Amino acid sequence: MRVFSYLVALAASATAALAATVQYDFSVEWVKANPDGDYERSFIGVNGQWPPPPIECNIYDRVIINVTNNLGNEPTAVHFHGLFMNGTNAMDGPVYVTQCPVPVGSSIIYNFTVEQPGTYWYHSHFAAQYPDGFRAPFIVHDPNEPFAGQYDLDTYLTVADYYHNSIPWLMANKFLTLTNPKGSEPIPDAALFNDSQNIKFNVEPNKTYKIRLINMGALVSQYIWFEEHDFKIVEVDGIYVEPTDASMIYITVAQRYTILLTTKNSTDKNYPMIASFDTDMLDHIPPGLVWNVTGWLTYNDNAEFPQPALIDQYDFYDDFDLVPVEKEAPYEPDYQVTADVQMVNLGDGVNYAFFNDITYVAPNVPTLYTVMSSGNLSTDATIYGSNTHTYVLGYQEVVEIVVNNFDTGKHPFHLHGHTFQVIERSDAAPSDDDNLVYDPTNPGTINEYPMRRDTVYVRPGGYMVLRFKTDNPGVWFFHCHIEWHLAQGLALVLVEAPLEIQAQQTIPDDHYAACKAGGYSYQGNAAGNTVNLFDLTGEKLQPNPLPTGFTARGIVALVFSCISAFAGMGFIAWYGLSDIKTSTPEVVDIIGMGEPLDDGDDAK
Amino acid sequence: MMAISDFFDVSVFFILFRETLEASIIISVLLAFLKQGVGNAHEDLLVYRKLVLQVWFGALLGFSICLVLGGICVDAWYRLGKDIWSESEDIWEGVFCIVAGLIISYMGLAMLRLNKMKGKWRVKIADALAETGGRTTVGSFSRKYAMAILPFVTVLRESIEAIVFIGGVTLSAPATSVPLSVFTGILCGSGVGYFIYQGGNHMRIQMFLIFSTSFLYLVAASLMSRAVWYFENYEWSQLVGGDIAEVGSGPGSYDIRKSVWHVNCCNPLFDGGWMIFNAVLGWQNSATYGSVLMYNFYWIAIMIAVCLMLYKEKHGYLPFFRKYGKVGFDDIDLTLSPSVGRTPEELEDVSVGSSYSQHRDPNPYGVGSSSSHLLAIVNDDIGYEHSTYLDDNRQSLESTQGVDASDGLLEVCSTPP
Repeated sequence: MRVFSYLVALAASATAALAATVQYDFSVEWVKANPDGDYERSFIGVNGQWPPPPIECNIYDRVIINVTNNLGNEPTAVHFHGLFMNGTNAMDGPVYVTQCPVPVGSSIIYNFTVEQPGTYWYHSHFAAQYPDGFRAPFIVHDPNEPFAGQYDLDTYLTVADYYHNSIPWLMANKFLTLTNPKGSEPIPDAALFNDSQNIKFNVEPNKTYKIRLINMGALVSQYIWFEEHDFKIVEVDGIYVEPTDASMIYITVAQRYTILLTTKNSTDKNYPMIASFDTDMLDHIPPGLVWNVTGWLTYNDNAEFPQPALIDQYDFYDDFDLVPVEKEAPYEPDYQVTADVQMVNLGDGVNYAFFNDITYVAPNVPTLYTVMSSGNLSTDATIYGSNTHTYVLGYQEVVEIVVNNFDTGKHPFHLHGHTFQVIERSDAAPSDDDNLVYDPTNPGTINEYPMRRDTVYVRPGGYMVLRFKTDNPGVWFFHCHIEWHLAQGLALVLVEAPLEIQAQQTIPDDHYAACKAGGYSYQGNAAGNTVNLFDLTGEKLQPNPLPTGFTARGIVALVFSCISAFAGMGFIAWYGLSDIKTSTPEVVDIIGMGEPLDDGDDAK
Repeated sequence: MMAISDFFDVSVFFILFRETLEASIIISVLLAFLKQGVGNAHEDLLVYRKLVLQVWFGALLGFSICLVLGGICVDAWYRLGKDIWSESEDIWEGVFCIVAGLIISYMGLAMLRLNKMKGKWRVKIADALAETGGRTTVGSFSRKYAMAILPFVTVLRESIEAIVFIGGVTLSAPATSVPLSVFTGILCGSGVGYFIYQGGNHMRIQMFLIFSTSFLYLVAASLMSRAVWYFENYEWSQLVGGDIAEVGSGPGSYDIRKSVWHVNCCNPLFDGGWMIFNAVLGWQNSATYGSVLMYNFYWIAIMIAVCLMLYKEKHGYLPFFRKYGKVGFDDIDLTLSPSVGRTPEELEDVSVGSSYSQHRDPNPYGVGSSSSHLLAIVNDDIGYEHSTYLDDNRQSLESTQGVDASDGLLEVCSTPP
């Protein structure tokens, strides 16, 4: 037995020793492209190319990416969506959470190991920058995957929504403005397959393809199906699942599904593959919008490429019912965070998104840097700001996040640094005025081995319950992955085991250097105060609420108007009372018509 | 949802009230003349009755024609007009509110010079009768039916005025609100006219008229305020685009930058009772700087107008406009007539005019053209020309008496006898 375990250990260390280091140099710059053939625009590309190159590595590899901001007009930052960054929280990427924005001309190095297999993606996490093009797949190969050897080719297929206009312009002029009081998200101009359209996916008959599907969009969830081909879902968001047959999936932004698709016997036909917008998520459908994108499983280049058939309804597989390969019973929660989702207009007339009564406003100092510069006070949530909605979590606990969705839209929520068990997800509320709220005494359906992933959507008016273990010290963002909603403030921050972060992790010098280069604060509390961490003067706060009812100004206006009206009527009465008091009987006399007319008691 | 404003329109009511009132005054004056002139002598009773019938016939004929005309106009307008203004409804509403407000403002104050109205009509009618040679002349058709033609023409003219005004005011009102308002307006106007004929208590009539005119101006102020509100609402709905319809009374239904007050209830577009508040007082649940300022400025303007009109009545000219002060027909304050303070015996003495001229007063009556003309009829031997125009009269006076009549007139008007 001892020999066996020694041999296993040797093998393991040999594997580890075989772990490579993968290095990339990214020059982030503007690149022109025309993905839908309708409109050429500038995209944020890497090293002169757009779409940006995918990152590929093997599990346990170290990845080092040197990112230089050559955009010329915007800061940037990179987040590796789905990777835990265990022990290297500083590499996670969201600005004002784990790092400062990287200013123009500066660079930053992301250096981390990948401990997870599966399909991920990387994207900008500065403002709402990634829909301007800065996003691409991050593929992790695992020789020990459960379905190893069952496929012939490992490839990826991305879907995305796409805007002709630049995001900062849309944000300022169309979205976060008082002329958009209902918070209607801008409508994308097209759907893309692999940042293109009408693509041909060359396949051979009788082969099995491992296709990693990634939604890199900003807003819209999509249905994906391959005509007359079923497939097996084998992995979601880096979690292996028991192979599950399906013919259509529903993939929200930021989610990944890996499927095994077996091709047919013959090569006489080509089959359309379709990605179709969930148009429920669009505020309205403008005329001329094509909300599908088509490609073909190309068996035969010379055969016809048929148009996709119209379908009556979307019959997709509900990911709630997927069963992880590594089965876990539902955790027992130690701590609960309740997040009620709602959209409210504030005093500037703009529609903001709230968790409970807070809409996220970024602090002056990235929260992780506050942890690092606050010593023992790092466990007190106050120092992280009044408007950052920060919770401090203990180490090695189970935390339950209950999301009650009081909005009438679907929202895909993502937790950095973790996957979570999806304990419950309710149906949509029966009508727009209803809401289903989580009631632990009256739970809905709970699976024996709950599905796990890192991005999951909640239905309109419904709720969902998520549980995860705090085994990863770090500052982790929890937010809606619809970029417009993130800009509206639909986010909260989890400071997980701050003392352990201080003990086990350091911030690399080049990260601080980027802060200094951009003039950002990087020490102290949310307001940047390094002396008194409880003094938050100077922190950014959300706008005041809309005035309800009469303010002082309104009362003055109303009173003054009443006074004017009464005064005016007084003048009219004065005018009326100074009417002539006599009539003119003399005229009648003159023309000899007899006695003067009698007008009653007129003054004579 | 039924609301009172679907069946009754305040502006229409008041327009009809005013026009009917003036028409009733005319008829009542005519009838009074007849009564005084003919009705007392028993031998002329038949003639009296015949003439009274003529008066009524003429009036009713004029009224019926105007009803027909009015109906045609309104119908034609509704058919043609409805479609073209549905897209920019707010702009149209605003324009109509301004038109209605201005019309009401213009005609409102005249209602408070009832005696002036009566006096004016007396003089005009006397003038017209004198011109046709009096009641005993037989001859041309016009003379025979003078009693019918006069009310006919007058009623017709007043009614056409009313139609034009109503046309402008009702374009924004539902068609169902017009009939009831018209009916009640005519009813009230006739009623008040009847009381005037009966020689009812002058003070009571005047108080009634004061109250109704005040109310009228409340409505006018609300119309002006609403007009500005409609224009600003149009501008806002253009900025927001299609969503405006879904927002109801809540956030986003108004421009926060221009808001003076906003409450989420009590929206006159949706709540029936508040609709009345809106129509009469200009209430908005979401007031803007523009609408509030317009309301206040309107009242200030009315107050200034009242002051100016009182000044003019007292002095005969507007402040700073002394040179241009023409004593027009409507401005005549008949209290300045020389009959004030005179005994009946004095009045019978026609030569009272000469006593004035002894005081170098060229126009002894200091009144408008017709009475001068009447004076001419009476004083044929004095040699005044037959003329019905003040200017001609003035010139003739100048020619015969060599006086600068304009100065004299002004002096007369500014110095009460």
